[in-house]
Amino acid sequence: MVLGFAAAAIAMLIALIPAGIVLCRGDLAATVVAFEFITAVIVMVLALLAQAFQRPSLFELPVLLAVLMFGSGLVFVRAMERWL
Amino acid sequence: MAREVFSDMLLGLAVVIVAGASLGVLLMRDAYQKLHFVTPAALVAPVLVTLAVLVQMGMTENTGETCLALFFLVIAGPYLSHATIRAFRVREKGDWRPGSNGEASAEEKELDL
Repeated sequence: MVLGFAAAAIAMLIALIPAGIVLCRGDLAATVVAFEFITAVIVMVLALLAQAFQRPSLFELPVLLAVLMFGSGLVFVRAMERWL
Repeated sequence: MAREVFSDMLLGLAVVIVAGASLGVLLMRDAYQKLHFVTPAALVAPVLVTLAVLVQMGMTENTGETCLALFFLVIAGPYLSHATIRAFRVREKGDWRPGSNGEASAEEKELDL
């Protein structure tokens, strides 16, 4: 296990707490921003964990999430624009 | 040894950027201001993480896949920010174009938008 990468992944997860507070307690617009922020950071956390545990197959997860982040974010903001 | 130190420095910098941006998302007043703090976490920190993987592993398959994730993040980030701002404006004013509903805000008049 590569300790630096695991430590960075844990630190980033802890750093998400303020954004998590906004996600839980903010208004709708702030919640969308927090969602986008957290998704972007989770992409990095997945890459860091894959590197930390030295599992090449796990590197597909951040790639997939990065693609899905784009689609899900657009669907979310479009729904907010029209219906929410 | 030098590789590990440099890699850890890059990771530490990425963590500091994410932590600062997260605090920015929490402390800023409205969603427009909060959205500014998504960019450092979605663009700058992933570049640092990719560099850290590159320094640690060299040009391997892992580095390539991390670069691919970074590529998608870099492409998606600006589009997503634009779409989000547009959605906020449509919710607030009915149309995203400045002055399309017949009245522009004082700030917009100042900026001549």
